[in-house]
Amino acid sequence: MFGEQQRFMLFLIAPAALLLGLFQVVPIVIGANASFRDWALYNPKKTWVGLDHYKAVITDPAFLEVVLPNTFIFMILSVAGALALGLGLALLLNRPFRGQKIVQTVLMVPLMVAPVIAAIMMRWMFNDQFGIVNAVLEGLGLEGQPWLVERWSAFGIIVLTDVWLWTPWFTLLLLAGLQSLPKEPFEAAAIDGTSAWRVFSHLTLPMLQPVIVVCVVIRAIDAFRTFDIVWTLTGGGPGRSTELFSLYAYVLAFLNLDLGRGSAAAIVGGLIILVVGIGLYRLVDRVTKT
Amino acid sequence: MAMVRTPLMFGRLPLGGRRLLFALALTGICLAFAFPVLWLILTSLRPESGVYYVHRGTEFTLASFAEVLQDDRLLQAFFNSALISTLATIFSLLVTVSSGYMLSRFRGPAAQTWFGTIYVFRCVPYISWVLPLYFVAQSWGIYDTYIGLLLPHIAVHICFFSWLMKGFFDGIDPSMEHAALIDGCTRWGAFIRVALPSAIPAISALAVLCWLFTWNEFLFALILTGNKVPVITVVMAQFVTEMGLRWNLMAATAVMALVPAFLLALFGQKYVIRGLRI
Amino acid sequence: MSIRRRTLAAVAAAAGLLIAGGANAQAVKELRIGYQPSPIQDNSIAMFETWGAKNGIKIVKVPNSYGVYVEKMTASLTSNSDQYDIIWHNDDWGQLWAHLLEPTDDIPGLQFASKWSMDKTVFGNAQGQNTVVPMGQTFSVFFYRNDLVQPNEVPKTLADVVNTSKKLQAANKAKWGYVGAMSMNNSWFSWFWSMWGNNCDVLMPFYERDNAKLAAAGWKSGLAEPCMKETTEYWWDAINTHKISPRGMPAYDRNEANAIFMSGDAAFTVADSLWWGTFNDPAKSKVVGKVSAARFPLGPNRQKNFAWDDIWGWAIPKSISPERKALAKQMLAAMMVDEEGQMKLWKATGAPPPNTQFWPKIAAQDPFMALLKEAVLDSPDKVRGAYYFPQWPAVHKAFNDAVTKAVTGKREDIGKVLAEGQPLVTKAATP
Repeated sequence: MFGEQQRFMLFLIAPAALLLGLFQVVPIVIGANASFRDWALYNPKKTWVGLDHYKAVITDPAFLEVVLPNTFIFMILSVAGALALGLGLALLLNRPFRGQKIVQTVLMVPLMVAPVIAAIMMRWMFNDQFGIVNAVLEGLGLEGQPWLVERWSAFGIIVLTDVWLWTPWFTLLLLAGLQSLPKEPFEAAAIDGTSAWRVFSHLTLPMLQPVIVVCVVIRAIDAFRTFDIVWTLTGGGPGRSTELFSLYAYVLAFLNLDLGRGSAAAIVGGLIILVVGIGLYRLVDRVTKT
Repeated sequence: MAMVRTPLMFGRLPLGGRRLLFALALTGICLAFAFPVLWLILTSLRPESGVYYVHRGTEFTLASFAEVLQDDRLLQAFFNSALISTLATIFSLLVTVSSGYMLSRFRGPAAQTWFGTIYVFRCVPYISWVLPLYFVAQSWGIYDTYIGLLLPHIAVHICFFSWLMKGFFDGIDPSMEHAALIDGCTRWGAFIRVALPSAIPAISALAVLCWLFTWNEFLFALILTGNKVPVITVVMAQFVTEMGLRWNLMAATAVMALVPAFLLALFGQKYVIRGLRI
Repeated sequence: MSIRRRTLAAVAAAAGLLIAGGANAQAVKELRIGYQPSPIQDNSIAMFETWGAKNGIKIVKVPNSYGVYVEKMTASLTSNSDQYDIIWHNDDWGQLWAHLLEPTDDIPGLQFASKWSMDKTVFGNAQGQNTVVPMGQTFSVFFYRNDLVQPNEVPKTLADVVNTSKKLQAANKAKWGYVGAMSMNNSWFSWFWSMWGNNCDVLMPFYERDNAKLAAAGWKSGLAEPCMKETTEYWWDAINTHKISPRGMPAYDRNEANAIFMSGDAAFTVADSLWWGTFNDPAKSKVVGKVSAARFPLGPNRQKNFAWDDIWGWAIPKSISPERKALAKQMLAAMMVDEEGQMKLWKATGAPPPNTQFWPKIAAQDPFMALLKEAVLDSPDKVRGAYYFPQWPAVHKAFNDAVTKAVTGKREDIGKVLAEGQPLVTKAATP
C-alpha cells in the first residue's frame, strides 16, 4: 500500500507520533471534551453544555479587556527584549577575547536554576522592605519603590524576569548562527570600508534571518502561555492588573476547579496563539528579508 | 572553527579605552545575569532568621544544608532527577532526530501534516492538559512510577525538538545522502551513517539544554508523582506549606540542585555553541 | 455429579471462602495517609504511628505538595483511584469533598471534638452526616511586641492601632506599626479580621454561613456596604496617610509579612496562632520573648469582641474498601483519645488538640493556651474563617481582587471600585 519512501517517512516519525499521541493528544482531547461539558473537578456531571463555556470566556470583559491585552503586551516586550539583548550579547561574544569562556558560562546561569525558584528569588529581591533592590536604592539616597503594588512596575518585573530567563537561549542560538556564517562577505565589506551598522543591517541580520524567525516564533508561543513565573511573582495582581491568559485558565481550572471552563479558556488561548504564530512567522520572515 | 570578527560599534575608540569599556560592559552583564543566583547562594548560607533580610547581618552558616541533608529522600530525589533527566534526554533526542530529519528531507502532504501537527500541539497551553494527564497516568496505572514520569517528559519535547532538529538538518547539505543512495546505501543507511554524524554537534547541544530543562521541571513532576518517585523539584515544592514557605531549606536545596546543572553547563557549553545552529 | 465430588466441591468452595476471607482480613496491613508535611500534620501522624506500632499496621505516609494538593486530591477522589485511606482535610474544602468522603459520625471519641468546629455547615454532607475527624484547631491571633507596648496600651480599636503605631514610629522604636499579608489567599491576615471587626463580611447577611440563607439573600456581597468602604479606607490611610504600614503591603503574602515582623521592624501583626512558636524560636526570629497575643482590635461598627476558630482534620475517601474504612476509623478513634500524643502536638505546634477534654489541663500549665481558650476557643462570638460552598475560591479571589484594586488606587475611587467588584463576587458565588 505504501511505497518504500512512505514507509521510511512513517518509521521516522512513528516513535515521536506515538508518544505525542499518548501523552499529549489524549490528555488534550480529554480536556477538549471537558470544555463542552459541565465538568467541575469535584463533581464531574459531564453533561453536554455545547459552547456555553466558550461563550462565557469570550464574552468575559476581564478576558477581553485585561487578560488578552496583558498577554500580548507581555509577549511583545518579553520576546523583543530577549531578542535584542540576545543579539547584542551574541555579537559581543562572537569575537575571541580573554575570558570568553567564563562569560559564556555565566550567561548560561539562568538556564541552570528552576524558573519557579528564580521567580521567588526575584520576588524577594524586589520586596519593598527586605529586597536588595530597594536596599541599594536607599543606600544611594534614592527612594525605594513598592514594586509589586503598582501595575506597570509589577509588569516590568515580570518582563525582566522572563527576559533574564530566556536571553541565554537567544544568545546561544544566535551565537551559533553567527559562527556558522560564511566569512567572505564580511571580509569584502571590511575591504570596502563599509560602516559597522551597514554590515550589521545588510549582512549579519539577513544571514541570521532563519535563526531569528524560528527563535521569535517559538519563543512568542511560549511567552504567550507563560505561567509559573507570573503566578509566583504577582499572582496576576495587584487586583487582576498583571493577569495573563494562562493565569486566567489556571484560576478557572485549578483554583475554581472548573475543568470545563478552564479547558475552554485554554483552548481559546491556544487557538489565538496558533493564528498569531503563523502571522508572526510571515511577518518576521518578511521584515528580516528586506 | 572559523571565527568571524564582526566589526563592532566602538571600533573608533583608542585601543586601551576600547578594551576597558569592553571589559566593564562584560563584567556588568555577567553580574546582572548571575546576580539572582548569587543572591540565592548567599541566601542559602544565611541563618534562618536572616534568609529574607539577606543583606542585614553577616552571620553565615551551613545549617540549612545540614537540615536538608538529614532527609534521606533527598539523595533518592537527586538520583531520580538525574536518572529521569538523562533518560528523557536520550529518548527525546532519539525520537526527535528522526522526526526532524523527516521534516527536513521530505516535502509533500505527509511532511506538511506532521509539521502542522507539531505546530498545533506546541501551541496548546500546559494548563489544559496537565490535569487530564493525571487522569491518564492513573487509569494506565503509571501514576507515581518512573515510566509515568519519563514518558510525558519525553512527549513534551517532541514538538519543540522536532522543529529545531528540522532546522539542524536544513543546514546540512543533502547531496552527500543522495550520493550515498546512488552508491547503493539504504535510506536508513544514508540517514544514520551520512546525515546523523553531521548533526551530532547540534544534537549534543540540544542534549545539554534538554537535560537542564528536565532537571528544573516542576509542573509535571508535581502532578505525576506521589511518594515513590521523589524528584528534586518536588522535594523543593514540599517546603511550601499552608503555614508558609521554608525559604532557607528551599534555597539550600535549590543551590544543591544547581551544582550538577552548573557542571553540565560548564563542560557542555562548547558543544552548545558549536552545535546549536538552525 | 457424584456425592463425593459434590462434597469435594463444597469443601473447596468453603476453603476458597476461608482463604478469601483470610486474605481480606490480611490485606489491610497498612494504611496510606495522603498529607502535606507540616508540624501539625506530622505530629498527628505520629499518633497514627504509635497506634500502628501497637496494632501491627504499617502507616504509609504519602506527602503531597501544597501547591497542587486540592487539585490532585479532588481528581483522585472523583476518579475512585484508591490511593489513600486517610487524607488531610480542611474547612475550606469541606463542602467541595463532602459527597466524596465517608461519614465519620460512628467514630467513637468524636463527641469530644469542639462542637463549633464540627458544625454540619462546614463538613456535613447532604444527608447531614459529618465527614471529618479533627486534627487540631487553627486560627489567627493579633500579635504585638510586648517590649514596645505595655499590656494596658494594647490597641482595642483600629484607631488605636494607628495612634500607637505613630507614637512608636515617632519615638523611633519601630519602623512600622502594622504589617500583615493582604494578597490573595492571605486575606485573613489583614482584610478579613479588620472587616469582621467592623461588622462586615464577604457575603450578606454578615457572618452567615448557612448556604440556604446566603442563597435567599441572592449571594449579595458586602463589598459595596459602608462598613467595607470604611475598612478599605482604613488600610489606604494606614499605608498612605499615616504611613504605619509599608506601601508594598497589598502585595504581601504571609511569608513576607511574617519575615518583616520577625526581623523586629513591625510592632503589630496578625498571623496564625501556630506562628507563636516560630516567632519565639531564636533560630528563626529576632523578636524572641518579645511577642504577646491579644484580641483583635475593633472597627467603629463593632463593640463586642470576636474570634475565629476552625479545624484542620482528617477524612476517609468513600471509594476505599469497607475493611480499610473500618481500620481507618479505629485508628482515628484511637487518635481522638490519645492524651500523650495530643499533648505532644500542642507542645510542638501551639495548636489546641482535637479533644476538648484536654484543653483545661493544657490551659492550667500553659498561659498561652489559657489566653487562647479564653479569647478564642470559649468565645461566644465566633466567626468562621471561610465560606462552605464549592465556589468559595472563586468568591475569595473576586473579593480580594476588588479590595486590592481599591486599596492600591486613588482614595476617592475606593467606593466606586468596591461597587464595581460587588456584582463580580455575587456572580462568582452564584451556583
